[in-house]
Parts: sequence; structure tokens; C-alpha cells
Amino acid sequence: MDRVARDDEKAFTELVRRFQGRVINLVGRVLNDRECADDLAQEVFVRIYVHRRNYRHGSKFSTWLFTIAANLAKNEIRRRVRKRNWFSLDALQEMLKDSAIQLADPAEGRESSLEREQLQAAVGRAIATVPEKYRLALVLRDIEGLPYEEIAQVLGIPGGTVRSRINRARGMLKRKLQPLVEKAETS
Amino acid sequence: MSCDRARRLFGACWDDELTHAEREWLEAHLAGCARCRKEYDEYSRALELVGTLPRAEAPPDLVERVLARSRHAAVAPDALSAAPARWAPALAAAAAVVVLAVAALLVLPRAPWRGPGADSSSPVAVTSGGPAVPVLVSGAGPDADGPQGLRPAEKEAVAADDPFDHSADVEFILDPVSVNRGRATVSHAGSRQADTEGERTIISF
Repeated sequence: MDRVARDDEKAFTELVRRFQGRVINLVGRVLNDRECADDLAQEVFVRIYVHRRNYRHGSKFSTWLFTIAANLAKNEIRRRVRKRNWFSLDALQEMLKDSAIQLADPAEGRESSLEREQLQAAVGRAIATVPEKYRLALVLRDIEGLPYEEIAQVLGIPGGTVRSRINRARGMLKRKLQPLVEKAETS
Repeated sequence: MSCDRARRLFGACWDDELTHAEREWLEAHLAGCARCRKEYDEYSRALELVGTLPRAEAPPDLVERVLARSRHAAVAPDALSAAPARWAPALAAAAAVVVLAVAALLVLPRAPWRGPGADSSSPVAVTSGGPAVPVLVSGAGPDADGPQGLRPAEKEAVAADDPFDHSADVEFILDPVSVNRGRATVSHAGSRQADTEGERTIISF
């Protein structure tokens, strides 16, 4: 990052290559929208470049990166809620129910890879129905594998609050995924 | 009780943050409690599913797109930072309006307002078309020992409020705009008599 701050374009290219997957994964799982994740990831790195001289030396780069990504994802969620487009909780829950019904019928002879893809899509939609503040903490912990302390820094909240949000998010997710878990076990 | 404790430990167990003693206790509990075992099984299965989600692959041209946009952003910084002087006067004017509005709101509610036909010693009820929001106010009535025309139970209720009786003050706790728009009528708390004397009244808006 020091080299990036000194306008070293090669270093910036390396930095983007190294972290682009994690940023897309984080934003994509929070929004459950892959195309938008690509655009937002691009925006994250442009902001990193524009504000490269504001980076505080000694702090962890990934924390700064995830903070920017999490904030952009939050903004996008709020923008969608304002516009009331596809990001309707009821619609997502309906889609989740449909997925469970599809998976419930092994007699249709679907290939296991297709079932796995459907299962993953349903899990992604279930995550997207968890309220935003819990969802971000959940994705940072259980998908990105960040330690609790770093999540607290990224979200700007105390460590105890992070634990509480993650526990609540996991509880919600467990209830949402319960039909899928049961179907997956019986099939 | 022990089931609650067990379920509170699920998260720490999944994160491998339990102490040795906690882990031993939880394992012993799960061995003997089918419900908690099922709960933990579903909990861990759900998180396993989350863990098996595929990692997203970045599009091959993302680096190029980022570089192109970054070069452009470095040459043309965003509009907000480029034109602070144009925003400053409008922002200052807006801030001044807000400050004046807040000051007016703070000052106006404390100014005594007298409805038509009412004086400072008579109880007043102001009504408007909106839902009734009762606000207790007190006025300086001639009967300092207690309100007239009230039933004994009502007198007791009023007397219980005496420590809060600021007899000379009439305070409107409502939006002053609504107060001024209100239609003033004379009413008599707890009494149907024409007598306008009394210490307390209900003002509704």
C-alpha cells in the first residue's frame, strides 16, 4: 500500500488482483447479486486509489478495504430499499420457499450438481433475507472468515455487539435454512 | 435452564472458542439431551451450507476497468470536492434558516398564549380537528385549596399532583403552530357547571 500511495500503478494492479475476489465475494453475498458485486468491487478499488494517501500506515489494509466495501454494500441495500425493486423481503422469502419445494422432489431425477447449485442459490437467498446489520456481520465472519476484532473495526461497533449480531444472524439463518437442511438430509 | 446455557454456547462452539470445561459440559449435555443435539445439528448444518458457498471469481477485465477509472478519477476528482465555493453560500443560508427555525421552536412554546374569551385565571380547553392529546396545565384559580365541582375521587387525584403544580405557569407542550390554529372553547374539568373557576384543565389538540 505504501507503493500505491506513491502512485506505483504496478503495485495497485497487484493489490486489485490480490483482493478482488474477496471484495466481490463479500459484496456479492451481502447483496445476493453477482453483477452488482462486480460494479461495486470496481468502485471499492477506485475509492482505494483516490484515497490512497489517506491510508493510515500500520493499520491493516484488509480492514480498510472491507470497511469501504461494507459501506458501499450498505448504501446499495438502502438504495434498493428506497427504490423498492426486486429487493423485497417477501419476494425473497417466497423464492426461498420455491427453492425448498424444488429440492423436495428427488423423483424428478435432477443431477446432483444441479441440486447443489439450487441449494447454494437458496442459501444465498436465505442470507439475503437476514436484516442488513446482521447480514454484514454474518458474511464477514462466516464467509470471509474475519476475526471478531476485525469485524468490529470494519463495522465500527464494539466487539460484544459483533458477537451478538453474529449469534442472532446465525439463529435467523438456521431457522430459514431448516427446511433445506431437512430436505438435504432426507434425499 | 441448562438447555438455554447449552444454546448460548453453540456460537462459541462453532467458532472453537469454548474453554475446555465449557466444551466438556456442552458435550455431556448434548449426549443427554436429544432436543439440544438436534438444535446443534441444524445449527451446524446451516453454517456448513454457508461455508460451502462457492467463492466468486473476479471477471478477467476487472483490473483493467479499475485502472481506467482510477486514472480518470485521479485526473478529475469528484464534483463535491471540486466545487466547494459554489455550495458554501447555499449551505450557510440553509444552516441559518435551520438555526432560526429551531430557535423559534424553543422560544414560542414557552410564550403564554391566551385563547379568545379566556383569561389567565380561567381554565381553557383548546380543541382542533386532530386526535385528542391531553396535556395537563395549571392556572392560578381563586380556589387555592382545591378545584371546585370535582367529585371526591377526582379531588384526590388532583391533590396527588400538587408537587407538580406550578400555579402561575401555563405551559403548552405542543407545537405552537397547532396551538395558534386551535379553536378555543371554555370547558370545566370534571364539572358541567357554567362556573369557569378552577385550577386545572385539559387542553386537547
